[in-house]
Amino acid sequence: MKKRKINWNYFLIAPSLLISVSIILIPGIMTFAYSFTDWNGLSPNIHFVGFQNFIELFHDKIFYKAIQNNIIWTVLFLTIPVCIGMLAAMLLLTRKKTRSIYQVGFLIPYVLAPSVNAMLWLNVVFSPVSGVLSVFRNMGFDVSSPLADMKTAIYGCAAVDIWHYWSYLTVIYLAALRQVPTDQVEAARLDGCNGWQLFRYIYLPNIMSTVSLMFVMITIGSFLAFDYIKLMTGGGPAHATEVLGTYAYSFAFDSMKIGKAAAVGLFISFFGLIASFAYTKISSKEEME
Amino acid sequence: MKKKMLSILLSVAMFASILSGCAISTSKEPDDSSTESTEGEDGAGDDVVVMKDEDMEGREEITLWFWGAEPYAQEAFKRILVDKYNASQDEYQLVVEFRPSVDDDIKTALAASQGPDIIYGSGPSFVMPLVEAEKLENMDAYSEEYGWKDKILTPYYESGTVHGSLYSLVNGVSTMGVFYNKKVLADNNWEVPTTIEEMEAIMDEAMEKGLYASVTGNKGWQPVNENYGSLFLTHVATPQTMYKVLTGEESWVNDDVKAAITKSKEWWDKGYLAGEDYVNLNFSESLQLLSDEKAPFFVGPSIAFQWAASFFTGDKEENIAFIPFPATEQVPDTTYTLGGACTLSINANAEDSHKDEAAKIIDMMMNAEFMQEMTAAWPGYWGTPLKDLSSVDSSSMNYLSAEFVKVVSDISAAVNEGNFGYYDNTFFPSATQTRIVNIDEVWYETSTVDEYVQSIEDEFRTEFDNGMVPPTPKPKMD
Repeated sequence: MKKRKINWNYFLIAPSLLISVSIILIPGIMTFAYSFTDWNGLSPNIHFVGFQNFIELFHDKIFYKAIQNNIIWTVLFLTIPVCIGMLAAMLLLTRKKTRSIYQVGFLIPYVLAPSVNAMLWLNVVFSPVSGVLSVFRNMGFDVSSPLADMKTAIYGCAAVDIWHYWSYLTVIYLAALRQVPTDQVEAARLDGCNGWQLFRYIYLPNIMSTVSLMFVMITIGSFLAFDYIKLMTGGGPAHATEVLGTYAYSFAFDSMKIGKAAAVGLFISFFGLIASFAYTKISSKEEME
Repeated sequence: MKKKMLSILLSVAMFASILSGCAISTSKEPDDSSTESTEGEDGAGDDVVVMKDEDMEGREEITLWFWGAEPYAQEAFKRILVDKYNASQDEYQLVVEFRPSVDDDIKTALAASQGPDIIYGSGPSFVMPLVEAEKLENMDAYSEEYGWKDKILTPYYESGTVHGSLYSLVNGVSTMGVFYNKKVLADNNWEVPTTIEEMEAIMDEAMEKGLYASVTGNKGWQPVNENYGSLFLTHVATPQTMYKVLTGEESWVNDDVKAAITKSKEWWDKGYLAGEDYVNLNFSESLQLLSDEKAPFFVGPSIAFQWAASFFTGDKEENIAFIPFPATEQVPDTTYTLGGACTLSINANAEDSHKDEAAKIIDMMMNAEFMQEMTAAWPGYWGTPLKDLSSVDSSSMNYLSAEFVKVVSDISAAVNEGNFGYYDNTFFPSATQTRIVNIDEVWYETSTVDEYVQSIEDEFRTEFDNGMVPPTPKPKMD
């Protein structure tokens, strides 16, 4: 009789599977279920309201404003920190002895808590009492905070988040750039490539998988944007900086409409899902090649 | 095929991860407090200060979560309440956690049938959904035992009742009014305004002289907007109209409410609310500017006395004074927008013995002696809403504390005469309150006054029909 072989793989993945099911899958399913209810987060009485939460959202101009701001946030993050991070990584690539020091310096805003960074900017830069703004005013310049204007407030918040985030991309890109085969780089140099050509034809193709991954992660992260906006403007003035995350929070904790907050949350997931599929598609295409 | 399966699995995993990120979680608000007490203990967040006496390790703990007050205020709380309670018996100790995000923490904990024994609330409207969810203890028996109904001002006592039963008590009165800098007014030959027209004239002149018209702002706390919504609803829409609106007798869509919202926009447009710096100032900075003689006025809640103590010091101490909002054409008598600093309730899930101790601790806060001691150390927050304040002696208090006692006495007198309006976080249900917070939609012209008022009516009607409106005390109706 043949002895049945125990597959230890199942035992090994069991703990992580249990954690994933408990703290990811079940809350995910609950969020989905709550989006069809009028639950206030406390009451034992939960009523099924069908698609009412979604219908109300589709008639809510602030909801569209939040989506628009998330898209602006995504575009800003896919361009500005990516360019700065790539440029800094390319510059650090040639600074073999000092790049560790630079990296530590650059990473300081990234390792600080968002509340610290936000308070720093609010009190040291934008404050009309003690900030840079007050210094300029005392010098006679008529300047005001970008957070006070509906047209610029979202950019003011994004600027602070980008200031905190770009160094993270620098570190990631630098790690990828260091893996580029040196023989390709040296051959290109011998062929007379200048800096731009070296980047365009040698470095960039070699780190494309990292760049693609970060594009997807930035997109997902942009639709989850919350902390800096909540800390700096709370979604104001007049919803000018409202994003889906702050809008969901406002429904959940201010208006006590958990059902509607869950419905907003599903849209955040939807946009994240699109980015996830894009990443899967890119990954399988690369594997095919 | 395997690759395809892997791709699908990967996508599902990522989707589920994002979905779970949308579930409720608490958030930490920024806070710059520090204290000699332990921080982040017992699984609490890093910005939570836990006030616990390690020498009383064997005692059972009665727990209270409070907002992240300034260190001097935490010290006063410890000395005047915690130490006194702990010394009064040898079985329990009061453990206080100062949490910057206390409102959200309490809601989340209570949703899971957890939380502290004594429940801090930001107002009766915060309490209503908790009562409906059976998270709070009925305090009628304790009220009878300690005589709360007889000694607390009726509108405040009633604001803590739901269907006639007591579930919360307001710890201290708060009202909207005008802080002014005496020196700025004297230097510019301005009289203390008694009418809104006089006040507007002073603000116009102040701006011409390069000063702020008044200082205030919502930096770090967007709900500051509701102060001005409530203020103009009281002084322009009138308490009588608001009583009818809150009791369902009249719609929000009426000319009085529209006039109030329009007046708030007029103030915004003219720059009377700190001009373009409104979103870049908080109350501390506003009071600093008032102290630095950069503005004649700070229009804000009376609880701001507690922050004034940091800036009006030394020879500036007596430069600040507080007046009720000046008379308007619609409301000529001295009238106060009634609000509360916070509410105190008892957790329905607490052990019975803990509930009794919690009631005892709440009662310690509901007497004139406590108000006197706390106000002397922490002016602005502990104006206990008592009918009889005659035993509060302010003669030995510093200037700010004595001024605050006078404000509380004036409010008590006005309340007894029925001259009061309604602060939204005390008397409006939560979704309606959120609409008042969003009054800046009108200021920034993303909504017209008509659209905005209609949106309040829509939210209020739903909450009114669901019985979520706190009890509305009746003002003088003639």
